[in-house]
Amino acid sequence: MGDSEYIIEMKHITKSFPGVVANNDVSISIKQGEIYALLGENGAGKSTIMSILFGMYEPDSGEIYIRGKKERISSPRYATKLGIGMVHQHFKLVSNYTVTENIILGMEPQNKLFGFIPRVDIKKANRDIAELSERYGLKVDPTSVISDLNVSTQQRVEILKMLYREADILIFDEPTAVLTPQEIESLLEIIRSLRDAGKTIIIITHKLEEIKAIADRCAILNRGKLIDVREVKDTSTAEMANLMVGRKVTFTVDKTEADPGNVVLRVEDLSVKDEMGHEAVKDVSFEIRSGEIFALAGVSGNGQNELVDAIAGLKKAEKGHIFLNDKDITESTVRERIESGLAYVPEDRQNVGLVMGYTLKDNLVLKDYYTDKYSSRTVIKDEAKAENGTRLIQEYDIRSGKGNDTIVSSMSGGNQQKAIIAREIEMNGRVVIFMQPTRGLDVGAISNIHKQIIDERDRGAAVLLISLELDEVMNCADTIGVIFDGRINRIAKASELTVEEVGRFMMGVEKGGES
Amino acid sequence: MIDTIIIEGLAFALPMFIMAIGGIFSEKSGITNLAIEGLQGFGAFAGAFAAVITMGMVSAGSQIPYYVSFIAAVLGGMLYALLHVMLCIRFKANQVISGVVVNMLAMALTSFLTKRINEALFGAKSDKFILDTSMRFTVPGISKIPVLGAVIKSVYPFEIIILVVAFIAWFVMYKTPYGMHLRACGDNPQAADAAGIDVYKVRTWAVIFSGGLSAIGGMSYAYSISANFSPSIYLGFGYLAIAALIFGNWSILPTFGACLLFGFARSGGQVLIQHLGMPSTYNDLVRTLPYVVTLLLLVFFSKNNRSPRALGEIYDKGKR
Repeated sequence: MGDSEYIIEMKHITKSFPGVVANNDVSISIKQGEIYALLGENGAGKSTIMSILFGMYEPDSGEIYIRGKKERISSPRYATKLGIGMVHQHFKLVSNYTVTENIILGMEPQNKLFGFIPRVDIKKANRDIAELSERYGLKVDPTSVISDLNVSTQQRVEILKMLYREADILIFDEPTAVLTPQEIESLLEIIRSLRDAGKTIIIITHKLEEIKAIADRCAILNRGKLIDVREVKDTSTAEMANLMVGRKVTFTVDKTEADPGNVVLRVEDLSVKDEMGHEAVKDVSFEIRSGEIFALAGVSGNGQNELVDAIAGLKKAEKGHIFLNDKDITESTVRERIESGLAYVPEDRQNVGLVMGYTLKDNLVLKDYYTDKYSSRTVIKDEAKAENGTRLIQEYDIRSGKGNDTIVSSMSGGNQQKAIIAREIEMNGRVVIFMQPTRGLDVGAISNIHKQIIDERDRGAAVLLISLELDEVMNCADTIGVIFDGRINRIAKASELTVEEVGRFMMGVEKGGES
Repeated sequence: MIDTIIIEGLAFALPMFIMAIGGIFSEKSGITNLAIEGLQGFGAFAGAFAAVITMGMVSAGSQIPYYVSFIAAVLGGMLYALLHVMLCIRFKANQVISGVVVNMLAMALTSFLTKRINEALFGAKSDKFILDTSMRFTVPGISKIPVLGAVIKSVYPFEIIILVVAFIAWFVMYKTPYGMHLRACGDNPQAADAAGIDVYKVRTWAVIFSGGLSAIGGMSYAYSISANFSPSIYLGFGYLAIAALIFGNWSILPTFGACLLFGFARSGGQVLIQHLGMPSTYNDLVRTLPYVVTLLLLVFFSKNNRSPRALGEIYDKGKR
C-alpha cells in the first residue's frame, strides 16, 4: 500500500473546531530525508495538520500512511512509537527539572535497588545525554536546570528529547519565532545537519527567508486549504508570499515624508534596573515628536523591555525623567499615564496585553471601561460595550469563533494582536508604543500592522516602535535609535543610516556618536 | 523537663509529618489538597473500627488490634481519597472546594457511622470507639544519654512506622520513575503528557497515596492524644500539616523540620505551664502555640516559597 518514495502520506484530511474548519481536504506527502516546509498565514491550519500527525488531534476524516502503512495516530505516545517527534511553539519542558530529567521523562533508564526496587539511573542518563548532545553537536549541560537556560538552549533540549526517543520524523512548529538572528542561524545549521543524518524534517513557519535557506519543498496553506506544493529552489519568495496570502503583497511600506511637530515624549537620563537588580537601562535620553516614528533597534535583552516598562509605568525608574507633553509622568500611575494619552501595544500579548479568560468585547474596553462611555456610576453599560466590540471586530477584521463573546484564549495569536491594536489605536493616544508588534505574525498581517503604525503617525501621534526585526525598523522608522547594553548608541534620521550601520551598532561593534 | 519536651514533641510532630508528606504527594502532582483533615479523620475512623472488631476476637493486651488498625486506616484513607480524586480529576471540580467538602463530609459521616455501628453491634449509644492507649517502649541503655537519649525514650510504635513509611515515600518521590512523573505533572502537565505520561493516572495515585499517608497520622493521634476515636479527632491538625508542608516548600526534609518545630512549640508550651504552676485553664492558650508559630513563620518565610507551578490548575488535555 502507498508509494514507497514517501515516508508520510496524509490524504484528504479534514478537521473542524467549533466555528472554524482548520483543515479542509488537505493532502500532503513527504519524502524520506527531505526538509519540508509548511507555509501559511496565522490560522491557515499548519499547526493543526501537524498536531494531527503528532496524535494531538484526530482528524474528522482522511487517512494517514506512515512508511506506507495505514495508521490511526491516537496519541502523542503512539506518534512517538512511530518515530515522530515534535518541537512545539511553546516548549513542553518541566521548568524545575534538569536537562537530563526533561529528556528522559517518560522513558527513564532504570536500575534495580537490591535487585527489585526500580530506581531512575540518573548517572547513566546524564552520561547518555552528554553523549547524545555531543553526537549531534547540540551543546547543553545535562545537569543545568531548565529555568536557568535561555530560550535557544531550551529549544536544543526539545530537539534532544526527540532524538533520545529515536524519532526520525522531526516536526518544528515555528522554531525561529523566539530566537535572535544569530540563534536562528545556528538552528538552521542544526536542522541541516539533522537532515544530513538521515532525518525527515517538517518545519512550520511563515518566514520566507528561512524556507528559502533550508527547505527542499514547501506546501502552502491558506484558510485551511492546501494551495500548492512547490520546489523551493524554483520558487521566488515573492511568489510564495502571494500564494500564501492569496493576494499581492508589497514588501516595502508606502509612506510619505514625516512632518514632525512638537516634542511629545521626552526621556531624560533614564536608568532602570531589571528583576535581578542590575542596571538594564543606563542614562537613556531621547525625544519623539508628534508625527514621527522613532524606532528602537537592538538585539533582544539589551534593555528594551525595561525601558518600555518604565515608560508605560510597569516598572519604576531608578533615575531620570519621562515627560509627556512637558508633564513629568515619571512617578505617575499607569492609569494617569493612560489618561494623559499613552497607548501601549505590549510584546507579551497573553500576559500584559489581554486578560485571556475574558471575552473579546471585555478585552476591547479594558482601558476605559470605567469612563462615562461604558459606565453609568458603577454599573457597566453592556450595550455600549457590545456596540464597541462589534464595531472594532468589523473595522479591524478580528476573526474569532463567536464574535464579541469569544474567550480570547481560544483566538489565534494574530487575532489576539489585532484586538490589542484595535483597542490601543481607538484610544487616540498622543504617544503610541508598539513593542514587537509583528512578532510571530504572517506576512499579510505584518504589512497591515505597518500600515496602521504609519496611519497613527499621520494622525499626529508620536510613535515609539521597538523591534528586533531590522527590516521592520528600516521600513517604518523616521528616526532610528540603536540600543546596546542598556545605552542608546546612536540616534539618527532613518534616511542617514544603512542597514549595515544599524547592524554594527546593534552588535556593539561601533559605539557612541550621538547626533 | 527537656526530656518531656522531646518525647511529647516527637509524638506530636511525627504523625503531622506523615500527613504533610501525604499532602506533598498530592500537591506535587498538581492537586491542591485541603482534604488532609478529612482524610486523617476518616482513616482513623476506619482503623478504630477495625481495632474494636479485632479486640473482640483476641485476648486482652494483644498488640494485634493495634497493627490491624493501622492497615485498616491506610486502606480507609485511600478509599476515602477516591472522593477527592473523583471530584478533582474525573469531574474537574475546583480543588479547594472539593477539599472543604471532603472534610465536612468526613466529620458528619464518621460521627454518624460511629453512632450507628455502636448501636447495631454493641447496643451502646456512643459516638466513640474506645481504644487502649498505645503502649510505649524505651530502648534500654543508650536512652540514658542525656537529652539525645530522650529521642528513644517512651516511643510509640507508630513513630517507628511513620519514620519507615516516610523514608519509603521520600525514595518513591525522588528516586523512582513514578516520583519523577509525579513531580513533572505538578510543574508542567502538558510536558508530562507530551512525554507519554498519563497525567490523570499519576495524579489519581498521588491523591490515593495522600489519603493512605494522612490516615496513618490520624490513627496515630487516635492512639496517642485521645485513646479513642470520636469527632474530636478533627482538631485541625490536618490543616497544620498543610501549613508545615508549605513552610517546607513542598520538600520532604524541610517539612520534617517544620513539623518538629510545631511539635516542640506544643510540648514546650505544655511543660512551661506545668513548670510555672499555671492553672490548667491556660491549657487552651498553650494549644494555640503551634498556630502562633504558624503565623510568625508565615510572615518571615512564605515569600521565598514557590508552590508547584501547575498546583490547583485543572488539567484538560484538549486545551491549547
